[in-house]
Amino acid sequence: MTATIRTRFGEVEYDPRNTLRFVEGPIGFGELRDFLVMPNHGGGPFFWIQSTEDTAVAFLLTDPTGFFPDYRVAPDAGERRRLGLEDGDVCHVLAVVTVRPERQVSLNLAAPVLYAPEKGRALQVVLENSPYSTRQPLPGSE
Amino acid sequence: MLVLTRKAGEGFLIGDDIRITVIETKGGAIRIGIDAPPEKKIYRQEVFEKIRRENQEATRWDIQDLEQLSARLGEKKS
Repeated sequence: MTATIRTRFGEVEYDPRNTLRFVEGPIGFGELRDFLVMPNHGGGPFFWIQSTEDTAVAFLLTDPTGFFPDYRVAPDAGERRRLGLEDGDVCHVLAVVTVRPERQVSLNLAAPVLYAPEKGRALQVVLENSPYSTRQPLPGSE
Repeated sequence: MLVLTRKAGEGFLIGDDIRITVIETKGGAIRIGIDAPPEKKIYRQEVFEKIRRENQEATRWDIQDLEQLSARLGEKKS
Protein backbone atom coordinates (compact mmCIF):
# COMPACT_ATOMS: atom_id res chain seq x y z
CA MET A 1 0.00 0.00 0.00
CA THR A 2 1.52 3.28 -1.03
CA ALA A 3 0.35 6.85 -0.62
CA THR A 4 1.22 9.89 -2.68
CA ILE A 5 1.70 13.48 -1.62
CA ARG A 6 2.37 16.55 -3.72
CA THR A 7 5.26 18.42 -2.14
CA ARG A 8 6.88 21.65 -3.27
CA PHE A 9 9.56 19.44 -4.82
CA GLY A 10 7.09 17.42 -6.84
CA GLU A 11 4.98 14.34 -6.31
CA VAL A 12 6.32 11.71 -3.91
CA GLU A 13 5.05 8.17 -3.53
CA TYR A 14 5.74 6.45 -0.23
CA ASP A 15 4.87 3.56 2.01
CA PRO A 16 3.06 4.93 5.08
CA ARG A 17 4.60 2.13 7.18
CA ASN A 18 8.08 3.51 6.51
CA THR A 19 7.69 7.02 7.83
CA LEU A 20 9.83 8.62 10.49
CA ARG A 21 7.69 9.54 13.49
CA PHE A 22 8.54 12.47 15.74
CA VAL A 23 7.28 11.55 19.21
CA GLU A 24 6.83 15.30 19.61
CA GLY A 25 6.85 17.51 16.52
CA PRO A 26 9.96 19.55 15.70
CA ILE A 27 10.03 22.69 17.86
CA GLY A 28 7.52 25.18 16.49
CA PHE A 29 5.97 22.41 14.38
CA GLY A 30 4.45 20.44 17.23
CA GLU A 31 1.50 19.15 15.23
CA LEU A 32 3.70 17.56 12.55
CA ARG A 33 4.67 14.02 13.45
CA ASP A 34 5.20 11.96 10.31
CA PHE A 35 8.03 12.60 7.88
CA LEU A 36 9.42 10.78 4.88
CA VAL A 37 13.15 10.26 4.71
CA MET A 38 14.16 11.27 1.21
CA PRO A 39 17.12 9.59 -0.44
CA ASN A 40 20.55 11.11 -0.24
CA HIS A 41 20.96 13.67 -2.97
CA GLY A 42 24.00 13.91 -5.23
CA GLY A 43 26.15 11.80 -2.93
CA GLY A 44 26.70 14.68 -0.51
CA PRO A 45 26.44 14.54 3.27
CA PHE A 46 22.90 15.94 3.31
CA PHE A 47 19.48 14.36 3.16
CA TRP A 48 16.04 15.70 3.78
CA ILE A 49 12.85 14.78 5.51
CA GLN A 50 9.45 15.77 4.19
CA SER A 51 6.35 16.19 6.35
CA THR A 52 3.45 14.05 5.13
CA GLU A 53 1.00 16.31 6.96
CA ASP A 54 2.17 19.71 5.69
CA THR A 55 3.57 19.43 2.18
CA ALA A 56 5.34 22.80 2.50
CA VAL A 57 7.52 21.61 5.39
CA ALA A 58 10.81 19.84 4.73
CA PHE A 59 14.05 19.93 6.68
CA LEU A 60 17.59 19.37 5.44
CA LEU A 61 19.56 17.20 7.85
CA THR A 62 23.14 16.05 8.15
CA ASP A 63 25.38 14.08 10.47
CA PRO A 64 27.14 16.94 12.29
CA THR A 65 30.16 14.83 13.23
CA GLY A 66 31.17 14.93 9.56
CA PHE A 67 31.93 18.63 10.16
CA PHE A 68 32.42 18.76 13.92
CA PRO A 69 34.09 15.48 14.92
CA ASP A 70 33.97 16.31 18.65
CA TYR A 71 30.22 16.94 18.72
CA ARG A 72 28.60 14.42 21.06
CA VAL A 73 25.02 14.27 22.26
CA ALA A 74 23.49 11.43 24.23
CA PRO A 75 19.77 11.10 25.01
CA ASP A 76 18.87 11.28 28.70
CA ALA A 77 16.71 8.64 30.39
CA GLY A 78 13.42 10.40 29.54
CA GLU A 79 14.42 10.87 25.92
CA ARG A 80 15.52 7.24 25.65
CA ARG A 81 12.15 6.12 26.92
CA ARG A 82 10.24 8.35 24.53
CA LEU A 83 12.32 7.14 21.60
CA GLY A 84 11.69 3.54 22.68
CA LEU A 85 15.44 2.92 22.88
CA GLU A 86 16.45 -0.37 24.41
CA ASP A 87 19.89 -1.44 25.56
CA GLY A 88 22.14 -1.83 22.55
CA ASP A 89 19.89 0.19 20.22
CA VAL A 90 21.59 2.78 18.06
CA CYS A 91 20.65 6.45 18.43
CA HIS A 92 21.76 8.76 15.63
CA VAL A 93 22.30 12.45 16.25
CA LEU A 94 21.42 14.71 13.32
CA ALA A 95 21.60 18.47 12.84
CA VAL A 96 19.07 20.64 11.04
CA VAL A 97 20.70 22.59 8.20
CA THR A 98 19.68 26.18 7.40
CA VAL A 99 20.45 27.74 4.02
CA ARG A 100 19.92 31.48 4.17
CA PRO A 101 18.95 33.58 1.15
CA GLU A 102 22.59 34.70 0.71
CA ARG A 103 23.42 30.97 0.63
CA GLN A 104 25.15 31.05 3.98
CA VAL A 105 24.81 27.61 5.48
CA SER A 106 24.66 26.76 9.16
CA LEU A 107 23.92 23.82 11.39
CA ASN A 108 21.70 24.03 14.43
CA LEU A 109 23.94 22.31 16.98
CA ALA A 110 21.89 23.62 19.94
CA ALA A 111 18.80 21.61 18.97
CA PRO A 112 19.80 18.30 17.38
CA VAL A 113 17.37 15.64 16.19
CA LEU A 114 17.77 12.28 17.91
CA TYR A 115 16.80 9.38 15.68
CA ALA A 116 16.20 5.80 16.77
CA PRO A 117 16.33 3.80 13.52
CA GLU A 118 15.09 0.52 15.06
CA LYS A 119 11.90 2.22 16.20
CA GLY A 120 11.63 4.77 13.39
CA ARG A 121 11.22 7.48 16.02
CA ALA A 122 12.78 10.92 16.26
CA LEU A 123 12.82 13.81 18.70
CA GLN A 124 14.32 17.28 18.54
CA VAL A 125 16.00 18.17 21.81
CA VAL A 126 17.28 21.48 23.16
CA LEU A 127 20.75 21.53 24.69
CA GLU A 128 20.28 24.28 27.25
CA ASN A 129 23.39 25.82 28.78
CA SER A 130 25.51 24.23 26.08
CA PRO A 131 28.27 26.01 24.16
CA TYR A 132 26.63 25.07 20.86
CA SER A 133 25.03 27.59 18.53
CA THR A 134 21.71 27.42 16.68
CA ARG A 135 23.61 28.93 13.73
CA GLN A 136 27.00 27.26 13.59
CA PRO A 137 28.46 28.14 10.18
CA LEU A 138 29.18 25.08 8.08
CA PRO A 139 32.95 24.75 7.55
CA GLY A 140 33.91 24.83 3.91
CA SER A 141 30.61 26.27 2.74
CA GLU A 142 31.78 29.86 2.35
CA MET B 1 -4.04 35.86 29.39
CA LEU B 2 -4.97 34.74 32.88
CA VAL B 3 -3.19 36.89 35.45
CA LEU B 4 -2.78 35.68 39.05
CA THR B 5 -1.12 37.31 42.02
CA ARG B 6 0.95 34.96 44.19
CA LYS B 7 3.31 35.45 47.10
CA ALA B 8 6.55 33.58 47.79
CA GLY B 9 5.68 30.06 48.87
CA GLU B 10 2.36 30.11 47.02
CA GLY B 11 1.73 28.51 43.68
CA PHE B 12 -0.82 27.13 41.27
CA LEU B 13 -1.54 24.04 39.22
CA ILE B 14 -1.98 23.59 35.48
CA GLY B 15 -4.24 20.59 35.13
CA ASP B 16 -3.50 18.12 37.89
CA ASP B 17 0.07 17.25 36.98
CA ILE B 18 1.95 20.55 36.63
CA ARG B 19 2.63 22.52 39.80
CA ILE B 20 4.23 25.97 39.72
CA THR B 21 5.54 27.48 42.95
CA VAL B 22 6.96 30.95 43.52
CA ILE B 23 10.13 30.31 45.53
CA GLU B 24 11.32 33.87 46.15
CA THR B 25 11.56 37.32 44.62
CA LYS B 26 14.87 39.07 44.77
CA GLY B 27 16.08 42.22 43.06
CA GLY B 28 13.51 42.13 40.25
CA ALA B 29 14.04 38.43 39.53
CA ILE B 30 11.56 35.75 40.50
CA ARG B 31 12.63 32.18 41.26
CA ILE B 32 10.02 29.68 40.20
CA GLY B 33 9.82 25.97 40.98
CA ILE B 34 8.13 23.65 38.49
CA ASP B 35 6.97 20.10 39.17
CA ALA B 36 5.91 18.42 35.94
CA PRO B 37 5.95 14.91 34.44
CA PRO B 38 9.37 14.14 32.90
CA GLU B 39 7.91 13.91 29.38
CA LYS B 40 6.83 17.57 29.58
CA LYS B 41 9.76 19.55 28.25
CA ILE B 42 10.31 22.88 29.93
CA TYR B 43 12.06 25.59 27.93
CA ARG B 44 13.08 29.10 28.78
CA GLN B 45 10.89 31.20 26.51
CA GLU B 46 13.72 32.99 24.71
CA VAL B 47 15.51 29.69 24.00
CA PHE B 48 12.33 28.10 22.65
CA GLU B 49 11.63 31.12 20.42
CA LYS B 50 15.17 31.11 19.04
CA ILE B 51 14.93 27.42 18.07
CA ARG B 52 11.41 27.86 16.68
CA ARG B 53 12.60 30.72 14.45
CA GLU B 54 15.63 28.74 13.33
CA ASN B 55 13.45 25.73 12.46
CA GLN B 56 11.13 27.96 10.45
CA GLU B 57 14.04 29.45 8.57
CA ALA B 58 15.40 25.94 7.99
CA THR B 59 12.28 24.95 6.02
CA ARG B 60 12.94 27.64 3.39
CA TRP B 61 15.61 25.84 1.41
CA ASP B 62 15.39 24.78 -2.17
CA ILE B 63 16.50 21.73 -4.16
CA GLN B 64 19.01 24.00 -5.96
CA ASP B 65 20.57 24.89 -2.60
CA LEU B 66 21.05 21.20 -1.87
CA GLU B 67 22.57 20.49 -5.29
CA GLN B 68 24.98 23.43 -5.11
CA LEU B 69 25.95 22.59 -1.55
CA SER B 70 26.60 18.93 -2.34
CA ALA B 71 28.63 19.87 -5.42
CA ARG B 72 30.66 22.49 -3.55
CA LEU B 73 31.51 20.18 -0.67
CA GLY B 74 32.25 17.35 -3.08
CA GLU B 75 34.76 19.56 -4.93
CA LYS B 76 36.55 20.44 -1.70
CA LYS B 77 36.98 16.82 -0.73
CA SER B 78 38.31 15.64 -4.08
